[in-house]
Amino acid sequence: MKFLTTNFVTCAVKGCLSSLEAFPLKYEDCQLVQEETEYKPEFISHMLERLEWNAIVQVAKDLGNDSLPATKPEGLDPIMEDSQAVLKDLHTLLMETQIVEGKMSCRNCGHVYHIKNSIPNFLLPPHLC
Amino acid sequence: MLATPVVKDLNYDKVYEPAEDSFLLLDCFEEQSLYLKSRFSSNVPVVVEIGSGSGIVTTFLHQHILPESVYIATDVNPHACETVLKTAKDNSATNYLVDSCQMDLTTAVRKQEVDVLVFNPPYVPAEEVPKVPETSEDSTWLDLALLGGPDGMIITWKVLHSLDTILSPKGAAYILFCARNKPDEVAEKMRALGWDCEVVIHRKAGWEVLSVIRFTRAEAK
Repeated sequence: MKFLTTNFVTCAVKGCLSSLEAFPLKYEDCQLVQEETEYKPEFISHMLERLEWNAIVQVAKDLGNDSLPATKPEGLDPIMEDSQAVLKDLHTLLMETQIVEGKMSCRNCGHVYHIKNSIPNFLLPPHLC
Repeated sequence: MLATPVVKDLNYDKVYEPAEDSFLLLDCFEEQSLYLKSRFSSNVPVVVEIGSGSGIVTTFLHQHILPESVYIATDVNPHACETVLKTAKDNSATNYLVDSCQMDLTTAVRKQEVDVLVFNPPYVPAEEVPKVPETSEDSTWLDLALLGGPDGMIITWKVLHSLDTILSPKGAAYILFCARNKPDEVAEKMRALGWDCEVVIHRKAGWEVLSVIRFTRAEAK
């Protein structure tokens, strides 16, 4: 599961759909692997526009990375040198960081989901469906 | 004509083998390429495929139609989830953006975030929808990819009734039907609920007649 995907998934329990607490999930006991992918700076800066930055910061903290700025980097231009370093870091974080094993839990209902072999399992037991 | 993704070493006892319905979706997206590129030219789209099976459709979209997008493939079948990642990697070693989640439909995807939804549902009419097996070794995982209960529409209606929660404001859903699903009646009901429905491709495939309907929110008039 790519770090990027943590910005798009939430708790599968129906009652949590509208809860502000349910997103992002809380990540624990995670094993990370860096997997190289092609770097496309314009794609990263474009994508950044639609990401929930607070959730990125929160998940990064869960995974032991406290280095992100509190507010979303704005106006990144792949041609500018100082933007390039930021974009490259974001690429490494969002696209290349894989959560291979770990747990995700909902801050609203407490349900725990597991990630195994890079695949998060969001299936619910019958009584929660 | 765009190249069909390589799908190899599949275990056809556990994962749905690409068939006429899968290929119809590939042809559908080849034709929809310009429409999708212009509809999502100003933002990075999120593409979600439900019941991705081998991953052939998601991989095709990523390779040829919307290369710069966020991809989430969902399937209840754990063997399919693994196969999707393998198919994505087999077709592009260094540039695959596809993530695979074991999930029922889109239940864990944030609401109204999906720009392109793709669903080749279990559309074969049957007495009931099979139960989700309890172990990964169970031999009935494949039944879930095929059998859709009365009219073959039980699962498809679950998605259609949630479409407003799933799709982003500009989102488009591409859902495959066979004639026995009575797609004309489905489209009529969805129009009454405020959706634009367009049959974007239609084909006789062996003894089945298959079509893909594109659902978007009706434009305010």
